Parts: sequence; C-alpha cells; structure tokens
Amino acid sequence: MRHGRPGPVLRAVLPPSRRVATGRGGAARSAVVYLVALLAAWMCAGVPAHAQGIGVRARVDRENIEDGGQTSLLVEVFGPSLGEVGPPDVSGITDFDIVGGPMTSNRFQWINGRTSATRSYTYLLRPRRTGSLRIPPLGLLVNGRTFRTEAVNVEVFPAGSAGAPGPHPSPPGAGPGGGGGPGRPARSGEGTSMVRVVADVDTRTAYVGQQVTLRVLLDTQTEILNLGMKDTPTFPGFWAEEIKVPENLEMRRVVNGADTYSEYTLMKRALFPTGSGTLTIPPLSYQIQVRRRSQDPIESFFFTPTETITRRTEPIAIRIQPLPSGSRPDGFSGAVGNFTLAVNADRKDSRVNDAIGVKVRVAGEGNLNAVNALPLPDLSDFKQYSPKISASTSVVGDRLRGEKVWDYVLIPLAPGQQTIPPVRFSFFDARAGTYRTVASPPLTIQVARGEDGDAGTGAGLAAQRDVRQLRRDIRFIKQAPDGLRDKSVPMYRAPWFIALVLLPLAADVGLFAFTRTRDSQRAHARQRRERRARSLARRRLKEARRRMSPSMARAFSAEVAQALTEYVAAKFDTSASGLTHDRIEELLATRGAAEEDRRTFHRCLEACDYARFAPTSSGSEEMRRTLLAAEEILVRLERSLAA
Amino acid sequence: MRPARAASALLLALWGAASLHPALASTSKDLFEGGNGAYEQGRFQDAAAAYEKVVAYGVADPRVLYNLGNSYFKLGKLGSAILCYERALRLDSSDQDARFNLEFARGLIRDRIQEPEIPYPVKALKDVLDTLPLELVGLVFLCIYYLAASLLGALLLVTGAVRRRVLGYGAAAAGLCAILAAGILYYKIEDRASAHAIVMTDRVDVLSGPSSDNTILFTVHEGTRLELRNRRDGWYQVSLPNAMSGWVPSESVERV
Repeated sequence: MRHGRPGPVLRAVLPPSRRVATGRGGAARSAVVYLVALLAAWMCAGVPAHAQGIGVRARVDRENIEDGGQTSLLVEVFGPSLGEVGPPDVSGITDFDIVGGPMTSNRFQWINGRTSATRSYTYLLRPRRTGSLRIPPLGLLVNGRTFRTEAVNVEVFPAGSAGAPGPHPSPPGAGPGGGGGPGRPARSGEGTSMVRVVADVDTRTAYVGQQVTLRVLLDTQTEILNLGMKDTPTFPGFWAEEIKVPENLEMRRVVNGADTYSEYTLMKRALFPTGSGTLTIPPLSYQIQVRRRSQDPIESFFFTPTETITRRTEPIAIRIQPLPSGSRPDGFSGAVGNFTLAVNADRKDSRVNDAIGVKVRVAGEGNLNAVNALPLPDLSDFKQYSPKISASTSVVGDRLRGEKVWDYVLIPLAPGQQTIPPVRFSFFDARAGTYRTVASPPLTIQVARGEDGDAGTGAGLAAQRDVRQLRRDIRFIKQAPDGLRDKSVPMYRAPWFIALVLLPLAADVGLFAFTRTRDSQRAHARQRRERRARSLARRRLKEARRRMSPSMARAFSAEVAQALTEYVAAKFDTSASGLTHDRIEELLATRGAAEEDRRTFHRCLEACDYARFAPTSSGSEEMRRTLLAAEEILVRLERSLAA
Repeated sequence: MRPARAASALLLALWGAASLHPALASTSKDLFEGGNGAYEQGRFQDAAAAYEKVVAYGVADPRVLYNLGNSYFKLGKLGSAILCYERALRLDSSDQDARFNLEFARGLIRDRIQEPEIPYPVKALKDVLDTLPLELVGLVFLCIYYLAASLLGALLLVTGAVRRRVLGYGAAAAGLCAILAAGILYYKIEDRASAHAIVMTDRVDVLSGPSSDNTILFTVHEGTRLELRNRRDGWYQVSLPNAMSGWVPSESVERV
C-alpha cells in the first residue's frame, strides 16, 4: 500500500456514491500526467475543441463490454482557468441508460507559475442493446460558450460471447460475489491488489426493537478512485436509521499477519427489528473504480489506467427474540432501550383559565418513533388539549438516541393547590432483559382565582368529564318482590282477549242488522200511509159534502182543508200539524207537481181558510165549487205524484 | 310434650334449611329466592338448579329465565345462557337487561355471521318494535279497535248528514289506526312464535341432508342462533341469516 491516507481529490455528488481519496503520491502523479497530457494535446492539436485555452474531452473506461455490463464515461473540461462550467448535456445519449452519476471532481495545478484546472463529470452507462454503440458529441457550456466533445464508440457483445473481454478484462474474483466475503482477501485482477467489502453487525442476537448496528467496511490494498452502491440498500424486517459517516472517508491502517491494507467505513446503519424470528440483512453490492497496474510504462505515466470491479457483502442472519410477555407492565409503550423521563411545567403558579405549559420529555438510547401513547393521564382539575409532539434522533457512539417531547397546554379549572400526578413510562431494557418503568415526581401547581374572580368549577368541585367504561359484564339477576307470574300463555291466546276482539265486531254487526230492520219497517209504514192518502182524503171530502150547508159552512171548510193537508202529509210521510201553505207548496215542488196544480192547491186551501175565519158564511154554490176544486186537485196531484 | 317440641324444632329446622338451600325450598317463589341467594354467594350451580326447578314447575316468568341465563353464563355455558335470554325475551321483549346480556353473550361466541344489511329506517322501526312489550301492543290495539268499532256503531245509529260525516271520518281514521296496531301486534306474535334454535354443543357440523353420511357444508359453534325451517327424523333443517342452510341433529340444538 503506497498511500498513507486519502486526500480530498474526488468529490461525490449524489448518494450513495462515495469518493475515496487517493494518496499524496497519486495526486502528484496525476497532476503530472494531466499536465503532460494537456501539453501533448495542445501540441498535437488532438483536442476536440479548444478556445481561450479551454478544452473538453470524453472517454470511457471500457470500449468493449458485454451486454448487461457497464462502462464509465468520463467527461473532462480543462484549461488554465475554467470559470463557470455547466454539466454536459447527456440528453443525446440514446444507446445507453445512465445508471449512475454524474460524479463531479475538480483538480487545480500550479506548475512553474502556470496554472491548470480540470473539472470531470463521470457517468455510469449501461448499454441498451448489443453492437456498435455510439456516445454522441456532448455539449458543455463553459463561460457562456458551448464546447463539444468527440463521439465515443463502444462495442457491446452478447453476454457470454468470446469477444466480451475488453482492453481491461475483469480479473478472476472481481465479479459480483467474487471475494466480497470477510474471509480471504480477494485480488481485484492481474494488475491490482486486494479489494473487499465487509459487512458486520455488533450482535447476532437481539430483541424486537433493540438496535443492531450494521457497519460496511472497505478493505483495500490499492488506490480507490471512485465507488458507489449498485442498488439502494434495503433491510427487510428492520426499521433502518442512517448513521452518518464523514464525507471524506477516514482510513485506518490494518496489519493482519502478512497483509497490510487500508480500511474505510463506507456505511453505518442502526437497524431495529420489527418482528421476531431469524432476519437476514441482504448482501450489499458496491462498484469500485480502482487504479489498474499496467505493464505499459508509457500508459502508466501518461494516463491513469483504471478498472471497475464489483464487490458484495455476505448476507448476515440475526436471531430476533420476542419481548417477554409475562412481565409486560400495563401501559407498556413499546419502546426498547434505556430512557429517562422528565416532566416540567413552565410555571408553578397560575390562575383559573390561565394556560400552563407542561413538557413531558422522554429521551435515551433507542428508537422512540413507535411510541405514540400520550404519557399524561387525564386530569380532572385541568382542561387538557392535545399535545404538540416533537421527536428528534441523534447518534452517540454508533448508538441511536431518541428524544420525544409532548408539549401540553393545561387550563386550570379550579383554584387551589392542584397536582399533576406522576407520569409513568414503561420500556424494555434489552441489555438487562427486563421491563422498566420510570415515573416523574408529582407537580404541584398553585392556582389562584381568575382576574375577574372566576373560581372556575369551585375549589371543592371536580370538573365534569365523561364516565369511562372500564370493563363489561352481564347485568345482575332480578328479584320478584311481587311474586312470580306465569306468562306461558300469551295475551293473544287468552280467551278474554279473543272475546274482547270479537265483542265489538258482533256489536257492530247486530247494530247494523237492527238499523236495517228499523229502516225497512219505516219504509213500509211510509208506503202504506202514502197508499192510503187518497182514500183518506176521499173520506174527508165525503164528510165535507155531508156538511155542505150554510149553517155548517165552517165545519165544511175545515173538513176540506184537513182533507187536503192530510193528503200531502201522508204522501210525504210527515205530520199534518206543522204544514203551512208554503211548506206544502215546497213539498209538492220537490215531487215534481206542476205549478198550475200547486197554485190551484194553494187557492183551494186559502179559500177554505177564508171561509173558516171570515165573519160572513159561504153560500152553497161557493161550497160546491170548493169541494169540486178540492176533488179535482187531488185527482191531478195523484197523477203527477204517481208519475 | 317432648315429641311435640321435637317435631316443632324439626319443622323449624327444615323451614330454615329450605330457605337457605334452594333444593329444599317448597314453592316456586322460595326456589327463586333461594336461587338468587345462591347466585349472590357465587354458587352458580346451585342457583341454576333452583331456577331450573322453578321452570320445571311450569312457571314461565321471564325473570326466572333471565336469572337462569345469568347462572349459566357464570358457569361458562354460553349456549344455555343465550337460550335462556332468548326465552326470557320471548316472554317479555321489553326487558332491556335480558337484551343487554343476550348481546353480551353473543359477543363471546365463536361464530360471526354477517347479517344482511337493513336500511336505516326499517332497522330503527324494527328496534323500536322489538322493545315494545307484547301486552302493551295488545292493549293499544284493543283501545283503538274499540274506538273504531264505537264510531262505526254510532255512525249506524245517528241521522243527520253533518254528524254522519264527522263520525264517518272518525271511524275511518280509527279503523286505519286499528289496522296499523293489528299489523304491529301480528309482527310481535310472529316474532314470538318464530322457530329458532340455539346450538348447545361445542360445535356441530351442518350437513347437506338429514343423515350423517351427507356432505359437511359448514360448522357452527355453541351459542349460535339458527332458524328452524323443517324437521325430519331427528334432524332440523336450519338456516343462518346469511342464507347458509343445512341439516343438524336435533339433539345438538335447543329450540327457543
């Protein structure tokens, strides 16, 4: 290993790519190489474009790759002073998928009073098809001017074909899984030394929710130019929290027997198992760009021969135990770790209806994200609002520490000395293997009356709150102080109920029958009286004829008038006593009697009345005419009423 | 005198023992109170035995069945408890305690049956009707029925157009109300007379036909309420509210 410690040469832009700095010797040699290359390019006019000393170029690390493989495209801008440089326009690359990048790096050199600067953009490309593929000229905007690189050709062979190996063939053991394990160091190839990636955890047995710290280390005996993760890491069955590692990876020299190599910590994760059983951390793959030893001294001097290798960690199985259920305390929060609890009020004196801020803070080693329970109990003498919850995490010595704060606003409802009872927080201490409960001391708040003398709910009265159901059970048995009653026969089957239902029915039917009979009898009587009306009138007129003499004139008239009136009364089934002349005319009109007949009837009755009540008696002739008129009108009425 | 005193003491001791132990109590009321005492002391087996005797005497009081259901519940016999609560509610559908305990016990059985969804107004009406006691519905019906009959009778007797018109409208309205009350009464009678049974064994297979060599369609567990549709040779054809149907041995269920 030639490098003492890495220097800040490459800078990764996008995660999860990481830059590994080369050593000082490497930097110096790179500077020389690029300076010479710059001069050679200037002298040979081989640069694709240059103006004001600015040049751009593009190249790939492998010009012959297999289908499914990857190649690294390096686009560089160089010149004495670069100024404002924009990234290359890669939209024209249609034969490749850009699977990584851009990784940007800057270099600045000052040699013999002359300065030169280089900005590099590195992309990882995967071909979309086989054959001769072309990376078109790429445009870069430098100080407002556009420069274009030359096109680059890449030959892509079908996977497994003989023509696959390119100018920088992958050495044995450099492929995926080929030497990524923590055991024997793998050699990256003919011209490179050992490079391996190792994943390690601090424990292989843990409880659910207990932190397992994952470390991914890079051991190398060669210079690492660049590296990045092939895929986004996933940890099924774990809640993963990132533990930051320095942007510039720190190197540690390791002497292991005859091997001496550098070790870098690439990644750290705090993993919290979410379930019990055996959980596996899957392999993590890295693509590493390393410097390749070249047998060609000119190439070694003027260029930086590199190759990209893949390293993969071994899967790690971890046995996760469930939390003990027997001794689990009531109100267990679900937190695993070691925590402290603090409860503070922003003041100890307040007034009724003046808000008090109470802060409940749980902090310690472990993951508090899953803790959702409200730690403050219900307070009868305070109106309590939903708390504002804030949470934060930090890492101390690779251990995740969490802090969760519940900010409560309490409104005192009654004056006097009010107490916020102890707040309890239960968690599982994985190191001790037991549950622990921490409690805060009770807080005493002195509450005065409100500014307007408001005593709230009163010192001796508790504020109202909903009654909570604690448990459920069946209701209690019943007593029978009035004795037992047999209800086996339902009411609707009882004889009295049936009788009561039938009774009104029978009553109504009987009533109906009675009314029908009554009406029928009445109708018969009316018909009989109507039929007898004519003969009755004749008898009356016969009697009147017998009395037809001047001495009996009044009796004669009364008899005639009675004969006519009773005739109408019988015909209309009514009483003769209440019949007036107008009423008689009205009745006759209802049965369709002719107006002439009604008038005649009326005159006849008037004549009778006149003869009865006049001071002079009627003559025989006049009585005879009256009798004839009465007989005639009766005949005519009989006809018209019968019709 | 000595034999007489001894006999008196013996009778007194027997009376005392009868009041203390339900099995020795003579009348149904004594048995009932003895059962209550045993229940309060936590002797649920004795309490259940006492209530069973009251039932065996032919006293169908809903309070006896309710207390018997409570005793069975405390003994862990969910099927018997649910059966007793159902029977108590048949005798007095307004008993809210029995309804509560029945729902509570039903919440503990193993079978969960998705009942067809009833539109809200219908369900609300059904809930109200279910809580009305049959006797009250019957009396209300009788009152309205008598009112309608009286108005009809008056309509037959009176004369005069106005009076007859008023009485006619009144009789028609009362008649409609009487028909409505009769409908509710019919619903209550049908509800009481409906054929249901409770599964009394831990589990029972429901078969596709009334013999043990038929296919097992599904399994129901203790306490599940089944509707009885048919009976044949010691087998009941039953159905669930979700329309699942089959045959079960009659000895595995108890009719409500």
